[in-house]
Parts: sequence; structure tokens; C-alpha cells
Amino acid sequence: MNYQFDFGLLQDSFPVLLRGLAVTIQLWIPSIVAGFSLGFFLALGRLSKSRVVSIPCLGYIELFRDTPVLIQLIWFFYAFPIVIGVQLSPFVAALLALGLNTSAYSAEIFRGGIESIAKGQWEGAKALGMRPEAVMRRVIIPQVLKRMLPAFTNRAIEVAKMSSLASILSVHELMYQGRLLSSTYYRPLEILTTVALIYFVLIYPGSYLSMKLEQRMASKG
Amino acid sequence: MSYQWDFAPVLARSNLLVTGLVNTIEIALISIVLGVILGLILAFMRLAQRRMLSYPATALIEFYRNTPPLVHFFWFFYALPVLANISLNPFVAAVLALSTQSGAFYAEVFRGGIVSIERAQWEGAKALGMKRSQLMRRIILPQALTRMFPPFVERSFELTKTTALASTLAYADLMYQAMIVNSETFRPLEVYTTIALMYVILLVSASTLARLAEIRMTAYR
Repeated sequence: MNYQFDFGLLQDSFPVLLRGLAVTIQLWIPSIVAGFSLGFFLALGRLSKSRVVSIPCLGYIELFRDTPVLIQLIWFFYAFPIVIGVQLSPFVAALLALGLNTSAYSAEIFRGGIESIAKGQWEGAKALGMRPEAVMRRVIIPQVLKRMLPAFTNRAIEVAKMSSLASILSVHELMYQGRLLSSTYYRPLEILTTVALIYFVLIYPGSYLSMKLEQRMASKG
Repeated sequence: MSYQWDFAPVLARSNLLVTGLVNTIEIALISIVLGVILGLILAFMRLAQRRMLSYPATALIEFYRNTPPLVHFFWFFYALPVLANISLNPFVAAVLALSTQSGAFYAEVFRGGIVSIERAQWEGAKALGMKRSQLMRRIILPQALTRMFPPFVERSFELTKTTALASTLAYADLMYQAMIVNSETFRPLEVYTTIALMYVILLVSASTLARLAEIRMTAYR
């Protein structure tokens, strides 16, 4: 172990990595916003009494949950354009794959949350004369969001980690810049370790928050 | 949608894809076994009263849980050989990355199962004069095992999906074989759809087996 570390080169490469980090965030935030919103409607579809609605939603959710994200990314970049006849940029393909993947996972979180709300809540709200969408909006959703907050935070963390796969479609995000720099300087050890640490700094606060939320909820019972 | 689907060239190369599937299952099983061993060690270290043991375990677990798996794959393949002055083939690097990462997650599964056992069980066993090792083996672990089972299965599925990343190191798993078939046939839509379905079949049959095993494990209740 007499390897000479050269962290000096990080001074030059750090700005590049930060630019990559900016792209990572541009992928991450829209994916979770779009994924969570779409996930809500998927959960409603999955819970629907009509089978014409619930079975396709179930199929969609299971398809995304039972295949590797890498395939989804590659499928949306190489295969999907053939179906629609429009070439997608790597960034758009990555956004699409990450967003739809998130929607499938968050649909299951919403469904779990909605099903966990006691029946009396629905009946009480109905008895007060609320229409179904008012019951959802005023009574059910606020409770689901609160109860499922740790699960949503965990999902957001997973999406941040998944976004590194966009480097395979050569989206210029953090991992891509790291791979590029490490092969340019022949210094994989320093660069890749730094990349790992940047991801850690990005992701750990969310992870810590979700742990604290879970502890608080557990102590409340 | 005037595209003509043609699976014939893909099916003609199905032996390549089957090889890939076998390699995927192989790397997943080896990594699960190594991950479980590492996870057990980390879980007991983290539960230890001595800080010398618990702090490093916590740091390692948190680091691996909060950084993307792709970074670990590249780190083990490109950075570790520089540090340790060895060279790794893609298979070994991928197994190292997968088993350390899943070891960190398994450790949390095991720890969660052990701490979830009620205090009275620990106290009762102690009152009967059992040593810590006896108490663990006879009282705590048998109960914790059934509780750990569902999250353990979920983690193993995540690991199986993560094996697709080994393709980025040119390990001949299902994903990598699909890329080869794609470059021979120029049929990305058919190829990637086929392997996505192969992953679905693999994971759905594994989850059916897991459900049967869970029913047997909890049959005593």
C-alpha cells in the first residue's frame, strides 16, 4: 500500500463534478415530483373497483417493480423511440424512465397508505355529506401523506441513487463526469472516491431525516 | 405505429440470452450468500456494546446505504486495483460490489429483526440463567428469523435487479448478452422487451417460491 494519493488534481476536477451534481439534481427533483403525482393516480386506479382500470394499473406497477432500472433506462432510450417514431435525448429518456419507475413504486406507497386509513374515517366523512373526491382531498390524503412521509423520503433517496445510472446513456450527471475524469487523469481512486462522497453528502440528510421521522412515529405509537 | 415487430432474429439467438440468465442467477446467488455473511457480522458488530465495534459498522452501513451501487461497481473495478495493487476480473469486482452493498442492507434487516423482539423475552431468558449466546440462539434468533424473512426477500430481489449493473463492467449477465444480441440484430425494441420479460418471469417465480417458504415458516402460528 505505497500508493501516492494525488488529491491536488481534485482542485481542477471539483468544479466539473459540481456541474455534474447540478445535472443529477435536475434529473432527481423532476423525477420525484412527476413520479409521486402520477403514482397517486396509479394508486387510485389500482384500488378501483372496476377491473378494466385496476388490472392495467397492477400490470404497469409490477412491470416497473420487477425489472432492473438499467433496462428501463436502456429501453426508453433505444427501444421506445421505435414505438413512437421520435428520437429522445438521453436526458429526456432518463427522466422518463426514472419518473415512471418512481410512479410505480410510489403508487404502492400511496395504496398502502390509503388502505391503512381506518374505515371509520371514510364513513364519517361520507356521513358529513362529502363527495368522494372531497373525502379524499380533505380527510384521507393529509393523513396518508403524514403517515407515509418516511416511505416517500426513502423513495426519494432511491431515486437519487438510481439517477447515477443515467451516466450509461451519457447524460452528463455526476457519475458520468466522474467516469470521464477518472479515465482522463488515470486517477480512478481519487475521483471515484470523491464521487462516492459527494453522493453521500447529497443523500445522507434525507436518509437521516427519514430515520428520525420513523423514530418519532414509532414513539407516538 | 407502422413498426413491424419481428422476434425471429432474437429468438434465433436465445441461447445467448439463456447463458446470460444463468450468469445473472449465478452472480445473484453468490452475492446473496456473501452478503448474508457480511450482513450478520455487521449486524452483530453494530449491536455490540463496545463502541470500537459498533461505530465502524454503523459508518460502513450508512456509507453503503447512501451511495449509488453503480459507484461501488466502478470503485471496485477501477479504484481498488490501484489501491491494493491487484487486478480484478469483472465477475469478482461485481460480486464484491454487490455483496458489500447488500451486506449493509442485510445488516439492517437482521438488526431490525433482533431489536424488534420484546424486552420481556430477553429478560425472561436471562432470568432463566442463559448466557448471551444461548439466549440469542434459543430465544431471540428463532423468533427474529420469521420477522426478518419478508424484508430479507425484498432485499434479495433488489440485489437481483442490481446485478444488471455488472453489465457495465462487461460481465456476461442477461443485460450484457442483450446488448450483444442487439448489436447483432439491430432490434433493440424486441431484444430489450424480451429480456425485461425474462427478468419479470425470474422475479415473479422467485417471489412465488418466497411466498410458499414464508407460509411454511409461519405455519406454527
